[in-house]
Order: sequence, then structure tokens, then C-alpha cells
Amino acid sequence: MVLLRAGLCPGLSEDLIKALLEGAVRTVEDLVLSDPEHLAQKCSVSYKALVAVRRVLLAQHAAFPISGADLYDELLSSTSILSTGITSVDNLLDSGLYTGEITEVCGGPGTGKTQICFSVAVSVAHELKQNVTYIDTNGGICANRLLQMLQEKTMDSAEQMNALQRIGVFRAFDVFALLSCLQNLRANSLQMGTVGSGSVKVVIVDSVSAVLSHMLGGKQNEGMSLMMQVATELKTIAKDLNVAILVSNHVTRDGNNQLKAGLGQSWSHVPRTRILLQRGEQPGASSSLRTATILKSSRQPCYLMEEFNLSPQPQEESQTGFAGKRKLDTDS
Amino acid sequence: MIRTVSGSPLAPSVKVKLINAGFQTAADLTEVQSLQLCKAAGISQEEADEALQTLHDHSLPLQQRAAVQGLTALDLLHQEESWGNIVTFCSELDNVLGGGVPVGNTTEICGVPGIGKTQLCMQLAVDVQIPVCFGGLGGEAMFIDTEGGFVVQRLVGVAKAAVEHCAALVEDEEQRSALESFTVEKILSGVFLVRCQDHVELLAELHLLPDFLRTHPQVRLVLIDSVASPFRQDLHDLSQRTRLLHGLAQHLTHLSAQHGTAVVLTNQMTTKVSPGHTHLVPALGETWGHAATQRLILHWEGAQRFATLNKSSSRKDATVPYNITVDGFRDASISVSSVLSHSPAAGSHSKRPRTENQHT
Repeated sequence: MVLLRAGLCPGLSEDLIKALLEGAVRTVEDLVLSDPEHLAQKCSVSYKALVAVRRVLLAQHAAFPISGADLYDELLSSTSILSTGITSVDNLLDSGLYTGEITEVCGGPGTGKTQICFSVAVSVAHELKQNVTYIDTNGGICANRLLQMLQEKTMDSAEQMNALQRIGVFRAFDVFALLSCLQNLRANSLQMGTVGSGSVKVVIVDSVSAVLSHMLGGKQNEGMSLMMQVATELKTIAKDLNVAILVSNHVTRDGNNQLKAGLGQSWSHVPRTRILLQRGEQPGASSSLRTATILKSSRQPCYLMEEFNLSPQPQEESQTGFAGKRKLDTDS
Repeated sequence: MIRTVSGSPLAPSVKVKLINAGFQTAADLTEVQSLQLCKAAGISQEEADEALQTLHDHSLPLQQRAAVQGLTALDLLHQEESWGNIVTFCSELDNVLGGGVPVGNTTEICGVPGIGKTQLCMQLAVDVQIPVCFGGLGGEAMFIDTEGGFVVQRLVGVAKAAVEHCAALVEDEEQRSALESFTVEKILSGVFLVRCQDHVELLAELHLLPDFLRTHPQVRLVLIDSVASPFRQDLHDLSQRTRLLHGLAQHLTHLSAQHGTAVVLTNQMTTKVSPGHTHLVPALGETWGHAATQRLILHWEGAQRFATLNKSSSRKDATVPYNITVDGFRDASISVSSVLSHSPAAGSHSKRPRTENQHT
């Protein structure tokens, strides 16, 4: 619904707009939907001019068809697959996160959603040397942990600092802040152009449910619309800027006590790939063992399951890693 | 500028009217005066003013706001280091938590009655005030009591022990002079107690909290003991409860990150019945588990109290024993703690007041 304004397209003059306003035609939508012959009579404007304007407006607001072959070429040249840094999760996702797609991890508290987000951020920033945008909505981000993960990959502290600098952190604690953050991200990237070193390869939102779940349900009807706006914004960013998007979501239980992803049916259409994280169930297994199951994917069979370990090192090693980090603190 | 009207924090009715009038984005509204807007959208003058203000506020200094908000992870690392941690006086628990309860984050403590949730809260309220030269934060604490479990005599006892503990650690002139002002009276005056009777009072208090923190920047710790009791008593509409709790959790997370305070919540336990057996789980439902960044569960194992880190974005899950003594929250026993005191992690905190120093 774009307002009719002079200069919107050639032939749309002030006089024409004024005349149209008398026929209660204010927006492009109104004009396109009305019958030009009828409108020309009602507002006493030239039928020819009206049809011309209508055609231009339609062309301006329409999308172009692209052939499948071109699309495939573009896909081959522009899509990249970003490793999550965890081998078994990569296997599950068919080698990693695809750019232009939204991937979702869901799971209960303490199942490793945030750890997967950290792992992706660290692996993209360190191994691929690409920029990462991390939108933290639940206060879960911990730079110390990111540093710890980097220390497992490299001992060079300059490299660690460079990698940390490639991770941009935004903290948005309500849905409006999240929307303005996403809109800003899109505007800035479009201004800069997609080429250049400043481009972002992955956007992580941890978690979408934290800002959305309390707005849904009950007598509040606005929550659903805001949720869909977040979804549209994420999809547009994924496609337009060709970035991979990773979001995290919580889980609820349905009537049969089965786990299902949060935010309801409408949200379940948003992510292209969805994986469910659960704690390892065998008694006596390490407490950091988790299982990941595919719930939705366009590339892999559903209910494929993999196991992974949140902290692959034995206890002693992580203790020394911790001490090393502390030493670094006192040096700086 | 792609900022949309529908994604802005305006009243839904105003948004609908604006959109019907063809104003979709902030850019559409930049050249419109408020009187014009009244007429075009059919809203009152006040509403028009508010709409313009909101959208201009959000669109014009947006670049600046984003620049303030957007940090790199490196900045965040420095921030976390400068904020520090609040020690618990149980060295094993401090190790598990990475030096204590993190400032700038929310931590939830769950446990059965009598396990020591309130004791740990009181200990933290005292420990946050340990002067900077002793490795503390030199802050103050806000204690929101919903259960009536706050006993001031107990706080005096814990404070006395903390003062004595610091006195035993004095090494240089700076610490000696700091100790003169670190008295029991000082500690008591640094704890602000708020008593909330029900969930309405609690929510109201939390919405006033940002102003309080702005005028009292030295408050580095907000304790809510407990978040469960008001929400378990009077709310019967479960979905309403869940929404209120989610909103509350977001509010607290925002608060802790914005003002650089630690937020500590306590929660009760409830029995979950599954076919064949029953077990204890934290109250307030499963989704509430997402609310706090860290979750600590206190439980009995025979006659010994144990603390389990159940959820954390920065530390591994672990279980450690602890004790509650006359002096407050302490290590379980010297024999167990001495094993860990030789580990490099514990050794690197030599500046922090430690209980094993006191015992030896």
C-alpha cells in the first residue's frame, strides 16, 4: 500500500492525483484494483493516461520471473555452506548451514542451543574469516566462552582477538528492538553493497522465542503479527543479503507429552531446517553428551539422529584451559 | 530507511489507522506534520504527535543507537572482565561458576525447602559488598523478599563472619584502610530490602527498578527470593502465568545487561509424576527454564548438600558439595576443598577471599 505521490512514475502528475483522490483512490493498490474505464469516468481523467500509469505502476511493483537454469547457476556461484564447527551436527545438516536459508535449533533449557550458536560464530569468524552478527535476546552470550572455544582452535592470541572482532553483538531484549535491529542490518548492508570486506555471512538470533513467546496467546492479537514480521524480515535478509541465518527456539510439550518446537504452527513454516536437541539419555553417560534430531529438512531424511559432545575435552584439559584464560586476564 | 510502521512500538489501533492511510514506513512519515497526519489518518492530535515522535526517535538517531548497541565480541569480553563476579565463599562452587555469580547475567537457584536458597542469597548480598582491594566488587544489594524468609539477625551473623574473614586477610595499607569502613553496619545499610506480597507488587516493583538502579549505581546485585511463591499462589490461569513470567524474565535480562547488575532468582521445586516413578523438578514449568542464563539446583544427597550447575552458557555442568555453617555458605569440608585448592584454577584467584585461608 504505497501512497500515490507525484513523481512516483512518469505521467502521474499532481492534478491527476487530486482528481483520483476525489474517486477515493489514494494508494497504488486502490488504483491497480479499480477498473480504469469506470475510474476515468468517475474522476473525469483521461482513460489513456490512466491506463499508462497503471501499466507502469504494475511493472514497478511486480517481480521478474527467473528461469530455473539461471537460478541454478546463481546457486552454484553464490551459495556457500558454513560449517557449524561440530562434525556430527554438520553431518545432520548436510555439511553445514546454507546461505540464503533459515536454520533453527530448538531444545529445552540446557540442551546446548546457545553452545551451537557460539560454535557457529567461532567457526565462521575464525576458520572462514567472515563477519558474524550475533543478536542476543536472552542475555545468554558470554564472550569468555567464545574466547575459550577459540583457544581450543588456536593458541595465537592475535588471531583470537581478530576473530572476536569479527563477531558483532547486538542485544535486543524486546521484539521492537529486534525488528529495528534487523531492519537496520538490512539497510546498512544494502548501502554498503554486498561486496566488500564488511559483508556479514551469518546472522544468529538467540533466541527468537525469548522475545516472542510472551506476546503470543491470550487476548493479545498483536503478537502473531509481530512474529510474522520478524519471520518476513529474517527471510528477506537471508535471500537479499545471501546470508545464513541461525535461530534458536524453545520447546513445549503437547498433549501426549511429546516434545515439539515452540511458537506454534505458523512459525514452523519459517525455518527451512529444524533440529531438536536433547540431553543424552543413557544413565552414566557424560553430562555434556547431547543428541540432535532433524525435524524438518529439504535435504536430509527426517528423524535422522546424531550424537555430539558439548565439551569434547576431558575434565583436566578444560581446567588448564580455564587457568590459561585467567592468566591472560591478569596480563591485560 | 526501511523501518516499518507495523514493527514500531505504537498502539495497535494507531498502527492500523496509519497503515490504512498509506503510511507504511518511517520514510513516509518524515515530511508529514502532526496536523496533516491527524487529518489523513483520522487519529487525535496526541496520537499523531506520539506516532511522529516514536518513528522519528527510532529512525533518526538509529545509526547512533545501533552504534551504541552493537559491540564486537571483543568489547563484550572486556566488559565481562570489568564487571567481574560475586564470590559465594564456597570455593568449589566458585570454580564451577567461573569465579562466582556473574554480574550482567541472570542466575536461578532452585531447591527444596531448607536447602539453603535464602542463605546463599544472604551470603551473596554480603559478598557483593566486599571492598575492591579484597577482590570483591564494593557494591550494594537489593533484596526483594516475597516469602518473608529474610531474617536480619542471620544477615548480621553472615556479615560479621565476612568482616572477620577479610580482617584475617589484610596484607597491605590499602586493605587496612578499606577494612575500617567495612563494618557490619555498613553492610547492613548496603542491603535494600523490598517486601512484595503478591505477583502484582512484584511486577510493579520490577518496573520501578530501572529508576532505582539509575539513582543507585552502586547496586550490583538484585535478589528475588523467591520468584515462584507469588506466581504459584494466586494465578490460576496457567497461560497467563507463563506469559507474565516470560515478560518478567525478559525484563530482568534487559535490566542486568543494561545496568551491569547480577540478578539472582530463587525458585521452588515441584514433584513431577511420570509413569512408574516421581522426581523433583524446578517449579514454574519447563519453559521457565529458559528464563535465566544460569541455573543452579541445590539438593540433598544423604546428609550432604550438593549444588549442581544445570544450565549455563559459559560453564560445564558439574556437581559440588557445600555446607551451611554459622558463618554462612561455605565449602563442604576442608579435605574435599583442599584437593581443588591445589588446582591451577583455584590458585589463580589468590586475591579473592577464600574459606580455606580462614580454616588454616
